[in-house]
Parts: sequence; C-alpha cells; structure tokens
Amino acid sequence: MNHFALTIVGRDRPGIVSQVTEILFNQGCNLADSSCSILGGQFAMILILDHPEITDLEGFGDTFKPLEDADLTVALRVLKPGGEVRSHIEGDLCMISVYGSDKPGIVYRVANVLGEKKVNITDLNTKLVGTEDRPVYVMVIEAALPEGVEEEDVDGWLSPIRDELQVDISIRTIPTVEL
Amino acid sequence: MAVRTIRVYPDPILKQISEPVDEINESIVGVIQDLVDTMIDAGHSVGVAAPQIGVLKRVVVVDVSKSKLGRDNNHGLLEMVNPKIIEMSGSKMMREGCMSVPDYTGNVTRAEHIVVEFTNRIGQLRVIEASGFEAVAIQHELDHLDGLLFLDRVSSLKTDLYRRKSK
Repeated sequence: MNHFALTIVGRDRPGIVSQVTEILFNQGCNLADSSCSILGGQFAMILILDHPEITDLEGFGDTFKPLEDADLTVALRVLKPGGEVRSHIEGDLCMISVYGSDKPGIVYRVANVLGEKKVNITDLNTKLVGTEDRPVYVMVIEAALPEGVEEEDVDGWLSPIRDELQVDISIRTIPTVEL
Repeated sequence: MAVRTIRVYPDPILKQISEPVDEINESIVGVIQDLVDTMIDAGHSVGVAAPQIGVLKRVVVVDVSKSKLGRDNNHGLLEMVNPKIIEMSGSKMMREGCMSVPDYTGNVTRAEHIVVEFTNRIGQLRVIEASGFEAVAIQHELDHLDGLLFLDRVSSLKTDLYRRKSK
C-alpha cells in the first residue's frame, strides 16, 4: 500500500483542520502521523496518510480542489515504500536552546555544526519574538546524540558560535527512563 | 508469590481510579509481593502500580536503586500503600516510557523534590523525602492509581512522542 505526504498551508482561521479532515474522511483516507501548527500568520499542516485503494496521485482526482478554492496551498506526494515507517532513534536526546538578537545565520551555523558531528535533529522550532526595534530570535532544537557524545561535547562544539553571533546557547539532556 | 501479566493500554483498567486500602491483610500483602515479583521479572523495572497488574487498589512498588540514574539517591525498595504526595517542589523533565504503553516515550515535566506519605507492608505510616529520578518514578506510579498515563502529561505529541529506542 502506498503512503502519501500531504502538506497544506494557508492563512490561519478557524475551520481549516475540520475542512481538510472532512475531505480525507469522506475519501476513505487513513491519517497516520501529522503535525500542524501556526507559523507566522499561516496554518501549516503536514500529514502522512494512506488509502486502501488509491495508489497514485491521479487516484485522488480533484479531491483537494475545495481546499484550493478556500485559498489553501495543497501539495501531495507519494512516499517510497517504507517511507512511512518511523525509524528507531538511538542515543540520548538533548534540548538545545539558542537565542539572541536577530541576525542572519543563526539556524544555519548551529545546524551545520550538528550535522557535521552526526547529531540527528529530531525537532526544530524557531520564533521571532521581542519588539519590532529589538527583535529576538529563539530556536529550540531536540536532537539525538550519537553514541559516546555527551552534553559537554555539544556545548564545546557550539561555543564558538556564542561569541561569533552573540547568542546564548544552553544544552540539557533528557534522560529516557522506563517506568 | 507470582509474576503477573502487565496490562497494556487500551485495557480499560488503566484508566480507572483505584480504591484506598482499608486494612493491610493477607490479600494486600499478596498484591505487594506480586508487584515486587513482577517488577523484578521485567528486567528490574523501577516500579509497578497495582492497576498495571489488574488490581484497582492504591498500592505501588518503586525501586530505583538498581538503575543508573537512581543508584546514588534512593530509599531502596519502597512498598507503598495509600501513598500520597504532601509536598512538591522544583521541576525536572525526563522522557518517560511505561510498560503499559509499549514502544513510545514522551517528555514529561514533574516535581524534582517530593515528600510522600504511605503505609508500608507492616502497617507503619512512613513519610519520606525523595528527589531526582526516584521522585519522578514515584509520581509516575502514583498517577496509575488515578487512571493517568504519561500520555496525559505530555504537552505536545509533535515534539514529545517517539518510539522508544530498542532495549
């Protein structure tokens, strides 16, 4: 069975989730993982779904046209087989908070260091907060540390960025416990 | 005594509120022993609550002394009847997993220090102060007595829920 990734973005207003899921329900789609959030003034939805009979994009026909008519941007793509399966995330998790006055490159510089060190970012959110004349950029990352990597190592790797970009960075591990 | 089967969600018993224990009789001592046996059998997990073995009584056992995170700060094996948290302070986030919700973990923030009172196996009222992992474990097990799972405590599925890493 093929799985699909559906993304929908549009100006936020009440009723978007209702309209989208009504269409999916009536079409007979199964909704698996999803993440929906307000970004700026937009409501952004990312959904992984499947359908017992539909196997390709054409099969959906003009199912999503009512959404486009309601000023939502809709994109649908077919996942390669197995692409719907969540991979096991190994290693300890840590949260990394980065914040400071807004300037270009904050996300890139931090992500670049983490990528080079094989730290897997599992979640990343950024927000522009503060006032208009003193904007503050906040980024919160959740990441899985490779075997043998400690909180202190990550702190050391990110340290040069603190001085260079004048941002505050803090790291804390979240122990995984079975209770 | 006996290793019992751990009930797994959506078993409805996990969402029910457990009854206080009136008297520590033979049957309650049996429940305590079964909880201990079940905890040890599960690769020495750090705690089990009575509803997890299908008994709706306010009884839990906790023992973090065998775990890496609790080894240096614990009260050993705690057998708690009618436990009640009477004070809590601080906060601590851990990514919790539960034998009754297999394959998933979620970030939960709980009090870092607690004072808890309970009756022990021989009927004595005890009050202990717990902190760190032991405090988290006690709070997690006590939630089971009120029909709460860690799923009731996570703030967001998006960031908080991942399949647990393989054992």
